[in-house]
Amino acid sequence: MNNTLNINRFGKILKHDGLNFFPNLILTLAILWAIPVIVYLAVALMPTNDTKDAVDAFSRVDLISTLANIAIIIAPARLYRYCNDSRKGIGYAMLPASTLEKFLSMLIYCVIVTPIVYVAGALAIDSILALFHGPYEGFAVSIYFDTFAKINAVFQRDGIMLDESFMLYYASISPIFMLILSAIGTLAISSIFMFGNMIFKKRKTGKMLGILIILFIIFMIVVINYVAHNEAINLYFQQMNDDNKAEFIKNIIFRTMDITFYAEIIISALMLFGVYRKIKTQKY
Amino acid sequence: MIKINNLDFAYNNTQVFKNISLEFEKGNIYGLLGENGVGKTTLLKLICGLQKPQHGSVTVDGLTPSMRQPQFLQNVYFLPEEVITEDTTPEKFIQKIGVFYPRYDFALFNQLMKELEVDLSKKFNELSHGQKKKALLACALSLQTDYLFLDEPTNGLDIPSKALFRKVISQYCNDETTVIISTHQVKDVENLIDPIIILDRDDVLLKASFAEITKKLYFEYGPERLQNAYYTEMLPGGYINVMPNEDGLESNINIEALFNAVMKNKETIKNLMQNE
Repeated sequence: MNNTLNINRFGKILKHDGLNFFPNLILTLAILWAIPVIVYLAVALMPTNDTKDAVDAFSRVDLISTLANIAIIIAPARLYRYCNDSRKGIGYAMLPASTLEKFLSMLIYCVIVTPIVYVAGALAIDSILALFHGPYEGFAVSIYFDTFAKINAVFQRDGIMLDESFMLYYASISPIFMLILSAIGTLAISSIFMFGNMIFKKRKTGKMLGILIILFIIFMIVVINYVAHNEAINLYFQQMNDDNKAEFIKNIIFRTMDITFYAEIIISALMLFGVYRKIKTQKY
Repeated sequence: MIKINNLDFAYNNTQVFKNISLEFEKGNIYGLLGENGVGKTTLLKLICGLQKPQHGSVTVDGLTPSMRQPQFLQNVYFLPEEVITEDTTPEKFIQKIGVFYPRYDFALFNQLMKELEVDLSKKFNELSHGQKKKALLACALSLQTDYLFLDEPTNGLDIPSKALFRKVISQYCNDETTVIISTHQVKDVENLIDPIIILDRDDVLLKASFAEITKKLYFEYGPERLQNAYYTEMLPGGYINVMPNEDGLESNINIEALFNAVMKNKETIKNLMQNE
């Protein structure tokens, strides 16, 4: 018998976890799906130019993306709440599937199924609302996966004119690569909260958010201190003017993207290893 | 076969087991007895792989439980003392987990639910505590695992249910199955368990079959308290005396009296049972 990965057994654990998916997450998803509807109703009842701008297709894509991230953050604690509970987790631990199979199933539901189900539902709701002659103009679904268009819209909205090389660079990136970049971002967020779900017994999401906020504050203090006292960086920023502003922003964006990309991969790998170890060695 | 060799286990600084060795053979219903907090549940958890020994080893058919390999897990089922159930019917619950167990039998589940008189249509949270326990017992038995571990299974069961419990467990056990029942309600499992294991803090005081126990100990039911008895207890109509069986007489074990006799004469009875 293959005790590490058996396709038949993996199918069974996927089905087992799948049967728990909607009962455990439907309320969370329903609340998150309701938010764009509430926004729609609020704008429809109080239409002003400002509110209409706030619900253009790009803004709605931003809102849906943010809510999808919230779903990803909440999902591990809703779907696998009791897997490290000394009493309620015994059933999960004793389920005849390998650690790898349980881990992969958890990964699939938290990282892939949750965002897909949420985004699909949210885009469907958005499309239905956009069919009415109400405040929603255009379809969010038509631009949701067009990262280039989204970035362009953000820069245009913020009045930042980027040079042609930047636009060409973005246009040259294949949609699949952009999807991978986006997937790694999703994986990083999800893996952090999957790990939090395994190490905390109660208030799992809240505690992990608290830790992230503290780490972020510490990180910002360190970075600001470093930047403020680094002469080379100060000299670099002193050279920025209206003529080369776009070039500066482009360089900063590229560098930040690089750092973020590698940081997300490292964080995901560490967190997922931690999740796997916890599933394997959790005591009850 | 379950083999425990030189097992040490502690929760933080509290030692639970110190160098204990035990073997559990197939085809038996073991009664695991002991006072509260001696480690009955912990021993079951160690055998199930829910805890890991600090020293020594636990193996089940040559497999290490703490590795939680599917090959091991599909042959064991642990029914904890505390009833924790999902918001679903027992039928849906067993259909969800049953597929993982090679000998799972849904027809047997239905039959057991009928025998145990549990309403099939109700969700777990609509059942009483005792009904939930019986439903989970039906689930556990229908999986037909080689090893079944029951932690205080009769807690919360009414008197007819306790009789039903004994009946279905007796029916379940065959030459290939090993059942370990951890309990402090010894009367509930009388006429069901054999052999008996009595745990003490850090130690195993007794592990013996009924035949071995009655060979060494004599349970005398009589009108008076005997002086040389290890333990005497007043019963309606007289006394029960637990005595050394020096004349090789036959008697019926009273598990409660045995337990109390062992607890009062730990070293004496331990040595008596170890002597050939």
